[in-house]
Amino acid sequence: MNTGNSTFTIPLGPVHVALEEPVYFRLTVEGETIRDVNLTSGHVHRGMEAMAMQRNLLQNATLVERVCSLCSNSHSFTYCMAVENVTGLVIPPRARFLRSLAEEIKRVASHLFNTAIQAHIIGFKSLFMHTMEVREMMQDVKETVYGNRMNLGQNCIGGVKCDLTPELFTYILGMLEKVEPAVEELREVFATNSMVVGRTKGLGLLPKEDALRLGVVGPVARGSGINVDVRKASPYAAYPDLKFNVITNDGCCAYSRTRVRLDEIFESISMIRQCCRMTPDGPTKAYLPQITVNEACARTEAPRGEVFYFIRTDGTDVPQRLKWRVPSYMNWEALGVMMRDCKVADVALITNSIDPCVSCTER
Amino acid sequence: MQDTIQGDARILKSLEVLCHNGGTVRHSADTFGNNFHWFKLDNPRLLVNAAEALRGVRARLCMISAYNSRQLGDPMQEVCYHFEFGGTVVNLTVTLNGEWPSVPSITTQFTNADWHEREMMELYGIKVANQPNPRRLFLDEEMDTGLLKDFVPLSVMMNGASSSDLWERILSDKGKKS
Repeated sequence: MNTGNSTFTIPLGPVHVALEEPVYFRLTVEGETIRDVNLTSGHVHRGMEAMAMQRNLLQNATLVERVCSLCSNSHSFTYCMAVENVTGLVIPPRARFLRSLAEEIKRVASHLFNTAIQAHIIGFKSLFMHTMEVREMMQDVKETVYGNRMNLGQNCIGGVKCDLTPELFTYILGMLEKVEPAVEELREVFATNSMVVGRTKGLGLLPKEDALRLGVVGPVARGSGINVDVRKASPYAAYPDLKFNVITNDGCCAYSRTRVRLDEIFESISMIRQCCRMTPDGPTKAYLPQITVNEACARTEAPRGEVFYFIRTDGTDVPQRLKWRVPSYMNWEALGVMMRDCKVADVALITNSIDPCVSCTER
Repeated sequence: MQDTIQGDARILKSLEVLCHNGGTVRHSADTFGNNFHWFKLDNPRLLVNAAEALRGVRARLCMISAYNSRQLGDPMQEVCYHFEFGGTVVNLTVTLNGEWPSVPSITTQFTNADWHEREMMELYGIKVANQPNPRRLFLDEEMDTGLLKDFVPLSVMMNGASSSDLWERILSDKGKKS
């Protein structure tokens, strides 16, 4: 559609081969160059918050794990923390470590998935296949330890469901011995391969000032040089006891966001190792006390950034209000900045660089 | 949760001033020592002042939650704004009533309030004054505003409320006849 002068409007989506989930972009273009972006979502809005207010606290732990597949563990993790905060429940030390362990295992797999999709969009099929192959090792870890490849079902109110035997800790450490050099190899390829660098370096710029203004979170913020990580700022679970660095990169582009994710995998591997060695003996869950009239918040660092939960209880086992905000919700608007003056052909690649989750966003 | 007063004392003081005429202030911490501050403002109009103060300390808006204290389908009565700065969470709650039925937009102070405000406008029918971008976020334009308020949960429909009404009517009719 011609909008006057030399600009045209191009619809992209909601169903598009390069987009993993339905989202609709209305691009105002001048030739091949994007001048403005309008985003419409809502295609998979499921009313999950309304559903949560018709289920009891225990049932909701199962429901929230299904908000999203890649961040599934982060949702049940944060939700359980919110319930524990609202009831004053203190979880056992062993559960703290086992929760962080599961979260970091999921983070490695999630970051590898995002980088694999980037290779896929670029058209580097062999790199895509190889990255997915490395990720498959982490999928094996999840399946072996928790019995499931995506929804681990590990978090429950008061602790964790799955206790790990010493053999499983040894198994995880053994798998990391294979995963770490493979990721090292991948990091080298993503950092130096001319095709990857040529497509991603300097693409989808999000200057630090814009990142702060838009309140973006996770690798999108850290890829614009902002040192923001809930695990450091407000430590929870085992993170106060674990040694790790917050990875930042000042590049502000798709390349720097990928670098952040790949570097973070090594921090996660280090934390998984620390958890395997430091997890104390003892019980894995505590019992839910009397539910009172109260309200509480909880937040964690999911693979895509901060997850925020708010809960209000009225003395019954059904929450009066359960509200959550996912990292992608904060990152979508940044696409308007990132895509401006880019080529139409780069829309999918830039979108992937925020590691978007539509199901999460719309709930 | 243990009571605690930590964080930037200056900003907490400036927010406390906005809660002196009927508002409340509460401080709490989780078991890991992370602080949460809860301010119930005297009226929704003060939200802009509070947002200005928080922007001054480079706080980040995390989320906005609208809720009611009765049934799911009832009008929303309170809106809670969650901010973060320096690892501390600041929650500002405003009460909606006949005198103040709407909230002011805080997109001038926090650009990322746009999606949150549009979401509560379309899903819960809350009026946001001076919202610069009042387009639909998730729901199609053809659907009514405040759609989630119209939702009647199956459990409410089947909890005997209608049966009770019917029974009371029968009893009162019986009383009239006799």
